[in-house]
Amino acid sequence: MHHLDIKGLEAAYGAVPVLSGIDLPVAKGDVIGLIGPSGSGKSTILRVLMGLIPPTAGTVTLEGNLVDYRDAAAVRRLRERVAIVFQQYNLFQNMTVLENVTVAPVKIRKRPKGEVETEARALLAKVGLGDKLDRFPDQLSGGQQQRVAIARALALKPEILLLDEVTAALDPELVSEVLDSIRLLAEDGMTMLIVSHEMGFIREVSSRVAFLDRGRIIEMDDARTIFDAPREERTRSFVSKILRH
Amino acid sequence: MDYTLQFGQVWPFLPRLLDGALLSLQIALLAFCGGLFIGTALASVKAFGPVWARRLINAYVVFFTNTPQLVQIYFLFFALPDAGILLSPYAAVLIGMTLNAGAYLTEIQRAGFESRRQSEMEAAEVLGFNRLQQIRYVVLPHVARVLFPPLSNHFILMTLGTSMAAIFGVEELTGQALNVNAQTFRSIEVFTLTGLIYIVLTLIASVALGLLGKFAFRARMRLA
Repeated sequence: MHHLDIKGLEAAYGAVPVLSGIDLPVAKGDVIGLIGPSGSGKSTILRVLMGLIPPTAGTVTLEGNLVDYRDAAAVRRLRERVAIVFQQYNLFQNMTVLENVTVAPVKIRKRPKGEVETEARALLAKVGLGDKLDRFPDQLSGGQQQRVAIARALALKPEILLLDEVTAALDPELVSEVLDSIRLLAEDGMTMLIVSHEMGFIREVSSRVAFLDRGRIIEMDDARTIFDAPREERTRSFVSKILRH
Repeated sequence: MDYTLQFGQVWPFLPRLLDGALLSLQIALLAFCGGLFIGTALASVKAFGPVWARRLINAYVVFFTNTPQLVQIYFLFFALPDAGILLSPYAAVLIGMTLNAGAYLTEIQRAGFESRRQSEMEAAEVLGFNRLQQIRYVVLPHVARVLFPPLSNHFILMTLGTSMAAIFGVEELTGQALNVNAQTFRSIEVFTLTGLIYIVLTLIASVALGLLGKFAFRARMRLA
């Protein structure tokens, strides 16, 4: 059974279609790289999956169970199993690093505070921020904030992690620290969907890569095929442009 | 001017004035807390509630911010008995000031609710927060932080506004001053002292609020 199965997914911003029939089966432990030009719908797939944009057609199945995005309770259950990290980190500015990571498990899931904090400290140590627990987000660099956001998503123990251009807003020298954290997750067998422009990273970490254009998956294959020997002309032209610099 | 100031005659009444000051502070504090509760609830509904509820709230805010507070309290005190509701002067003043504060604090907090960071709301949403939890953990801390100065200013204004209660015979600071004046006829001394007590009262309140803002809400503000 697929961990996550997306079939015929469509979505629109008003009258403008952004997804025109996405089919994407994801197995447990898969790391799917989503690449493509701006506006191709990569981020929209993640936002629809999280229930932030309603799908207009198609189905999403999580371990064999159909997700009904019109049902708020179903969306809440989905969010207990799938987490997302945003491009702009979106940390809670009024909370410390530790509070950012613990607030959802403690206040929303009602888990014991001591236990959650121990886990949060371990997570933050893992992303290299064990010494920044009491800082506020505006006292951290972008890369550090993004790593807090990753720890915050992981604190809910998701089965699937969605990463939406998590390095796009970072200074180049801060990118690698965030990628290192994600690399560790891939090694741990986390199922992930990664939208990124870091082609070298996508190539290294992805079990499969999907190239999107205008709301469709043009081609999906293992990373080597997509980058070195794509079958589709549009993929070839995109990859050659990207890899030229 | 050959008036000789005689504070000695007024001095013995200082404890009574201080009692009055405490009552002023009590009225202001209770009305402010009640008003803050109303204002927070109504600002939440205005930001996230249905259109008909927003209209209703707008009507309340427009009514209470566009009529004199004194008239509002007169209304409670003199008009409600006709409807069978008899209020003591203290209750009329307290309820009137609370409803008035509720309207102003709704309007002040509206700005804070509108300037909430959508990115944080979205992050909270995908972490499983419902609307009330979003308001409690994301919006209100933001409101407290950015609107702490105007909110504390309103509290200071309300502390001074309690002098209106004297008109209804409540023996808060101004009421006590009127009593002492009637007994001593030392008006200049009495009202000088009363003014000084109001100044000390508001200074203490500003410093306390400044400290609270600085440490509790990380509000970037100077101490008064």
